[in-house]
Amino acid sequence: MKEKVLSEHFSIDNFFKLDVYLKHNGYQAVTKALTELNPEKILKEAKAANLRGRGGAGFPAGVKWGFVPQNGDKPKYLCVNADEGEPGTIKDRYIMTHNPHLLLEGIIISAYCVGINTAYIYIRGEYENIALRLETAIDEAFQKGFLGKDILGSGFDLDITVHRGAGAYICGEETALLESLEGKRGNPRLKPPFPASIGLFQCPTVINNVETLSNIPAIILKGAEWFCALGLPNDGGTRIFGVSGMVKNPGIYELPVGTSLKDLIFKYAGGMKEGKKLKAVIPGGMSAPILKADEIDIAMDCDTLMKADSMLGSGAVIVLDEDTSILDVLKIITKFYAHESCGQCTPCRIGNSWIKKIVTRISQGGGKEGDIDNIARLASNMLGKTLCPLGDAAAMPILSIVKKFRDEIETSIK
Amino acid sequence: MMKIYIDGREMQVEKGMTVFKAAENAGIEIPHLCYHPAFPPEGTCRMCLVEIEGLPKLELACSTQVKEGMKVHTKSEKVVEARKGVLEFLLAEHPLDCPICDQAGDCKLQDYYEEYGLFDDNFSESKDRREKKIKLGKHLIHDNERCVLCRRCVRFLREIIGTGEMGVFERGANTEVNILEGMPVDNNYSGNLAQLCPVGAITDMDFRFQTRTWFLEKGEAICPLCSRGCNIFIEHHRGFSRFDLPKRVYRISARENAEINSYWICDIGRYGYHSLDENRAEKIVANNNKSIKNYKAALTFFTEKIKRLLYKKKTSRITLLLNTFLTNEELFLLKKIFQDDLGVKNIFFIDPPAGEADDILLTSDRTPNKKGAEELGFEITPFELGDLEDETEVLIIFGDYIGEIFSPSDIQAYFDRIKDTFLFAPHKSEIDSIAGIMFPTVMTPEKGGSLTNVDGKVQKFSPVLEAPEDGKAEWKILAELGTKLDVNFKYYKKFLSPEEIFRQMQKEIPFFEK
Repeated sequence: MKEKVLSEHFSIDNFFKLDVYLKHNGYQAVTKALTELNPEKILKEAKAANLRGRGGAGFPAGVKWGFVPQNGDKPKYLCVNADEGEPGTIKDRYIMTHNPHLLLEGIIISAYCVGINTAYIYIRGEYENIALRLETAIDEAFQKGFLGKDILGSGFDLDITVHRGAGAYICGEETALLESLEGKRGNPRLKPPFPASIGLFQCPTVINNVETLSNIPAIILKGAEWFCALGLPNDGGTRIFGVSGMVKNPGIYELPVGTSLKDLIFKYAGGMKEGKKLKAVIPGGMSAPILKADEIDIAMDCDTLMKADSMLGSGAVIVLDEDTSILDVLKIITKFYAHESCGQCTPCRIGNSWIKKIVTRISQGGGKEGDIDNIARLASNMLGKTLCPLGDAAAMPILSIVKKFRDEIETSIK
Repeated sequence: MMKIYIDGREMQVEKGMTVFKAAENAGIEIPHLCYHPAFPPEGTCRMCLVEIEGLPKLELACSTQVKEGMKVHTKSEKVVEARKGVLEFLLAEHPLDCPICDQAGDCKLQDYYEEYGLFDDNFSESKDRREKKIKLGKHLIHDNERCVLCRRCVRFLREIIGTGEMGVFERGANTEVNILEGMPVDNNYSGNLAQLCPVGAITDMDFRFQTRTWFLEKGEAICPLCSRGCNIFIEHHRGFSRFDLPKRVYRISARENAEINSYWICDIGRYGYHSLDENRAEKIVANNNKSIKNYKAALTFFTEKIKRLLYKKKTSRITLLLNTFLTNEELFLLKKIFQDDLGVKNIFFIDPPAGEADDILLTSDRTPNKKGAEELGFEITPFELGDLEDETEVLIIFGDYIGEIFSPSDIQAYFDRIKDTFLFAPHKSEIDSIAGIMFPTVMTPEKGGSLTNVDGKVQKFSPVLEAPEDGKAEWKILAELGTKLDVNFKYYKKFLSPEEIFRQMQKEIPFFEK
């Protein structure tokens, strides 16, 4: 069995409770970090671990922390991105459900490292029970002195607040998350300035994904070298892959970064359901460009997938079988992005709605010659030209589908 | 300073400047809709994308700051293609109602289509229908189909005025701007929204369907309705040769002046133009003396009346009612003639009552030149009818505000005791029949001169509109009077224009030297 960093204890009863968590070496990482290590050492360790962000962009977490200016007089904030809105993504909910104290430990250590005294967990509105569970865990940690004033006699203070979103995909984009947290409409901000210098309430802010932060305690306890060795030199650790779609055993699988996609589907997730043939895979959440069946012999890490013109994203693997209509896939994708575009910038607002109109028309039998070229042209006009990554997130899968499955879509037009 | 290149042209620009501003300063226009210099960059319309060498994606000109050695291309193939793409998106759902749109001819979207678009319509879907006539407030109508969501309106109300009546609702293609429930845009700056709107989404009910913008000429003027001295354009119609238009002025818009009014004016100033065309006094009215049929005869009569008192050394029997709508030059001549040359002491002012000042532009004085009058040495003594002394033989009134404060019957009762009353007014009023002679005068945009604003800033202006038939600018009447009074007539001969009067003021009054 492969070594697990995050999901090792998922099956232990009541592991989400502090007393159970403490029995399994809980809060040892926090104790070590706050009593034996200083922030510089922790930052060095986090950087050396090559922990790439698990939210989608794959940006190294340690580097991100290093961007926060340390000499200002403004307060600094940590925002935990628990909005988990990328279709197919189910990893953070498992971590927060089964191992909330691991996340809290990650938050405490990173806040201590960057010099932050206030953290917010921005959790998607639909995760109501999980939000309650987090609040209970926070209360427990407060009572035991892992949160609040002068944690473990270190002189370090930290307060954590759980904030529930209201069901907008865009609020998973880090700057829209900040706007929403400030009580405003969840519209992404123009960057620069980046949140590290001007973020929440105009103050320096670190925004990390749940899974990213949950890796920190293990890095502190076992060291960056050990963590890195779990995965790849430039992309350390494990990932919780969420496999959904037409496989025998859909679910979450914590595996080393760099595990083959083919193994993930056929070895771990039990292969295709009902013996059907594999048609295509969306390897990193819906915004990741699609891979055809003959492209799945590929390592699941940020850089390799990027080289293959796709992306690891949130590690959400959506498996499509031979019976899946690619036009239906396209319809779902275009409908989703047209619905979730915040409407702020022109290409994303109109582009997604326009493409959706064309795809809907084709699916209703009204397809015309030139429609596919038009879809590709419009998607290209969005790509790289929008205010936030949502435009790209929509354009990339659409472009990959019309490129790789053009023949199939054409059969719906003729 | 740093060196950058835009479209191959080398230029020195200040550190921290945006690419947009650097290009603008060099006369290179970059298309934009959401960007407006009054606000921080918004970056949402995506029209201002430019190519910067060494960067993988196109960048926004409005928000990207210059860097030493930066090479920017604003017209490369990549940029032009991107602009076309954005324009195509903007126009996909945009209604084709330019023929009935007030903004046509003055519309950024039209301009950019002419310049970058001219593509075939690839949009074969049905356009989303949206509300086309939303009443935002007492002056404004919003058309959601025409809106390009630049959010200038929302930002103006939040960031400049602070009232925040408007917000963004819904999302994706359903996104729209509207007023918050029960919060119409009825603040005193609402009219700016129609001017700020880069397309014809927010239109002004006062201007809606009145004329086409290409018939309008924009005359530079100063708003005379408070002492801020906001810079304005008087947008007027030259008319057609074959038929008469009901009016000359169709709207007033804000003219940028960073030191005074930025890009804005208040609604009092914006909608106060109707008095330029309505109820204007055009002909001399001589009630007591039917032989006076023209302006020249009236002025001679007026001059003789003053001369008579001068010879009798009874100029103390002259009472002068002034106002602070008069220009610096006019007040200067009034002071020279009546105070210095004739020794008149009974000088009063009739101005509209002070209003409430806001902390934005509107001041409490509702006239443009109170500060100027003070700097010229006038004591601003408000007038009451009881101030008319029994011995007053000649009463000279400037302006038509007297009829607004006092009832005609009260005025009549006092005027009956006075031999000669002369009224110099731009509008017809009931006082015309009470006064001995009514001289039509002009309104501020019909004359030249200068005004001193509340902060002591002297602003010169030239006439924008023609004077009505018999209407004459007060400075002209006064300069002529000065040459005919045999006291100091040579002094007044040189005053053939407001500039010459101003030069004389500069010599005599230190305040106007600068």
